[in-house]
Amino acid sequence: MKPLNLIALLCFLGGATWALTRNERSVREIQSYYYSALMPFLKAGSAIEERARAFSREVHHSRELEEELQLTRQELSRLRQIEQRFADLESENERLRDAVEFKKNTPFSLIAARVTRRQTTNWYKTLEINRGEESFIGNQNPVVTAEGLVGKIDVTGKEFATVILLTDEKCQVSAKIEGSPEVGILSGRRSDYGDPPMLSLRFLSKKANLKAGQRVFSNGRGGIIPANILLGTIESVETGAQDSEALVRPAVNFNDLVTVFVIPSAN
Amino acid sequence: MFLLLTVFLCASVTVPLPVMFFYALIGGFLWDAQCSLSAMKVDPYVYPDPVPSLRFGVSILLFGLTGLFMHGFRPLFLQGKWYLSACLTGAATFLFCAGEYLLIDFARGSFTFHSKVFLQCFYTALFSIVVSPLIFAMLFQVAKWFHYAVIPGNKEKKMYLS
Repeated sequence: MKPLNLIALLCFLGGATWALTRNERSVREIQSYYYSALMPFLKAGSAIEERARAFSREVHHSRELEEELQLTRQELSRLRQIEQRFADLESENERLRDAVEFKKNTPFSLIAARVTRRQTTNWYKTLEINRGEESFIGNQNPVVTAEGLVGKIDVTGKEFATVILLTDEKCQVSAKIEGSPEVGILSGRRSDYGDPPMLSLRFLSKKANLKAGQRVFSNGRGGIIPANILLGTIESVETGAQDSEALVRPAVNFNDLVTVFVIPSAN
Repeated sequence: MFLLLTVFLCASVTVPLPVMFFYALIGGFLWDAQCSLSAMKVDPYVYPDPVPSLRFGVSILLFGLTGLFMHGFRPLFLQGKWYLSACLTGAATFLFCAGEYLLIDFARGSFTFHSKVFLQCFYTALFSIVVSPLIFAMLFQVAKWFHYAVIPGNKEKKMYLS
């Protein structure tokens, strides 16, 4: 091996060892600097993505209208177009009203945040929101919607945070089951890239008397996720040699997240 | 994010070994800054079985290994067979994705590798193959601006191959 190559290899291994021996705090700082440096690009990317989505919706909408035009007269078609626009506004209004109502009715204070990027990593299930430390969001704060729990905050920066979704294996939540004394740990399933993704509720007792359709809530143990947040509904139960495991359908539609709410640490 | 990996893999055949290592260090560092998850500080009484994830810095080693794989086929690239390097970019991307997934498997203590994981790796590799000619073209253009000979002259080539 040429001396220069050997020196380069040693430098590379030295650099890798340096990175591998960083402690948790240094890693968070590195990630925070990285995201802060990238923020202008991420914002621009997010704006482009939004425009692309709007364009795709428009294209879809136009095709529908074209089909209608072939079937009905021009006047009726025009009225339908107006009606469609009203329906869009109404559903948007309803969604926003639900969000406001949800925020008003929740016993803890919430910080509304917009999803700026989805699936930011390869194998971990994460997304990015446009609120961070400036909005008093901290590591491991729960993220919810009106439907239920979305996940926990992972990395925070001044104006952004990443959320590890409930569907990731690493996001564990202590859970209880409606109408049952059973408690277990709910988490996502590795390599579950199905649509919709399912969750596993583990460490249930062997004689757990559970039925499909029973709802699963957080039980507040561990102090991270508040109690009584809906997590999902039981699909099936499998009894093992030592304990039982339930397959749970998440309450939240993770493909349709636009606005989420973070429960800050002060709660 | 995969564009970073593809650019790195394409660049790794166009430069000497020490520069490739430097690129691997930078690329792996950026990859982990984007992807690595924080350790969840949880009550061990409530959560007796915490789920580990890969340490910060593991991707640097993966970048180094895949970079070495690509660099091993540099003689073919120097012979002007850039299309073979483009195909190898796909193979290296597949190895990187599968390697990362298997390392997570290893860290979490169980082995699962089903068709959807394979397909995700495969499509990512396909994406790499499709975009790599474009990246090679861009790299050649950048090299031209900086008067760098991506494919060296015959004399240097012979020296390198010997």
